[in-house]
Amino acid sequence: MIKLQNITKSFGRLQVLKGIDLVVEKGEVVAILGPSGSGKTTLLRCINYLEKPSDGEITIDDFTVNCKRPSKKDIHTLRGKTAMVFQQYNLFRHKTALENVMEGLVVVQKVEKEEARRRSIELLEKVGLGNKLNAYPSQLSGGQQQRVGIARALALNPEVILFDEPTSALDPELVGEVLAVIRNIAKEGITMIIVTHEMGFAHDVANHVVFMDEGIIVEEGKPNDIFVSPKEERTKQFLKRITPEGVYSI
Amino acid sequence: MIVGLGVGFLAALPRLYRIPVLQSLSKLYASFFRGTPILIQLFLFYYGLPEVLKLQGIDLSRVPVLVFVIATYGLNVGAYISEGIRSAVTSVDRGQIEAAYAVGMNGLQAFRRIVLPQALAIAIPIFANVTIGTLKDTSLAFTLGVMELTSKARSLGLLAQHFMEAYIGLAIIYLMISLLLERAFQFIERRMLRHEQPISSSKQARSFKLWQKRRPAPDASLNKGGQ
Ligand SMILES: Nc1ncnc2c1ncn2[C@@H]1O[C@H](COP(=O)(O)OP(=O)(O)O)[C@@H](O)[C@H]1O
Ligand SMILES: [Mg+2]
Repeated sequence: MIKLQNITKSFGRLQVLKGIDLVVEKGEVVAILGPSGSGKTTLLRCINYLEKPSDGEITIDDFTVNCKRPSKKDIHTLRGKTAMVFQQYNLFRHKTALENVMEGLVVVQKVEKEEARRRSIELLEKVGLGNKLNAYPSQLSGGQQQRVGIARALALNPEVILFDEPTSALDPELVGEVLAVIRNIAKEGITMIIVTHEMGFAHDVANHVVFMDEGIIVEEGKPNDIFVSPKEERTKQFLKRITPEGVYSI
Repeated sequence: MIVGLGVGFLAALPRLYRIPVLQSLSKLYASFFRGTPILIQLFLFYYGLPEVLKLQGIDLSRVPVLVFVIATYGLNVGAYISEGIRSAVTSVDRGQIEAAYAVGMNGLQAFRRIVLPQALAIAIPIFANVTIGTLKDTSLAFTLGVMELTSKARSLGLLAQHFMEAYIGLAIIYLMISLLLERAFQFIERRMLRHEQPISSSKQARSFKLWQKRRPAPDASLNKGGQ
């Protein structure tokens, strides 16, 4: 279980997160929606401390970090429990697909090399890249790179995987293959928090939808609560703007 | 050159990690050595420094000339190298470092495993320019009376009254060493950048294109070649 309490973040005088409370159950797939600039990326980055929250508390399982005064060890432990898939993939460019996936296992988790290789190959096969083990990122399409990114996150066997708009840097024809991979791993009961603008995908795959605007959670609930019968005016406005007429009017 | 690498690396660190006072010092150091001619630096070190130190009661008159020459070249090369390292490291994109942290690496691991290998590959052409430039600059040390290639040629020339032959021979030697170094650096560069080369295509053409596309970064002022 993941519990965020009163997460607050300011950049200088700009307050980007204004006290976020969120509980994510084990195995849940959470979709975070919201207009651009509402603080979605910042929230994800606070969870693994790529961004230092100004205040609040992060709990993963029985491990709690008080964001006011975290120790180096707290941050390290937190990062050990999380993994991230980036909008721009952020693969290590001087390493092959296989080395990208192995890197965390070998360097951080100190898994023995042969074992790491075996597990990494298995994961790359799972995301459909069994034939690209030795390709460098510059030799892969965006969709393939992002699938390597997903395998790299899976390899760490984290409590939660954080996805920041995993398909928005992709050409439209490549979006499908990446979403398919995420759908697949969602079935395995891995906890995931996904920031996305793919409404159809969010509706199908998520079992918990969160709508954010201007640094607060405006509304959250089951996909149908949000997509079919939103209560807040801001949510309605947002969905109206972003979804084509009639798609979710069942 | 080796001295220069060491000095350059040390001088680059404060600015990469934004260490307050040292950062400005390293900036000052780099702009001094990059902004003044090596000949003046040699003179300053060889003639000026002993005078200043004598006032403090330190006597340098028995230190061999070569030491001054090596120290000056070391500091000079270090200035260029530190700029090169700095621009190479900053051109490794931030996203990969964040990915390294997200995977759970600490700062040192991220630097050693992710940043450094890529930065070195990017910095190779800069190192090449500096090395070859410095090689040619060694002829200036002659003015301090150190026996190096140029002065050897000159004494030979005096003896034999064959100036032209001696200097032409010298030019050829410099040229050969330069070409050899250039080749060596090209080879290293290609090896270290092999991850940027799409599998099927004429290697040289592609690596050049990628070079232009991916890193306009290391600025032109780093080209030191010839003075
Ligand atoms: N490093 C930063 N420094 C200053 N402002 C930032 C920084 N990162 C994000 N912001 C600001 O925080 C706000 C929220 O950004 P972000 O979390 O990226 O929103 P979203 O992902 O929902 O589009 C934006 O106004 C953005 O300009
Ligand atoms: Mg964002």
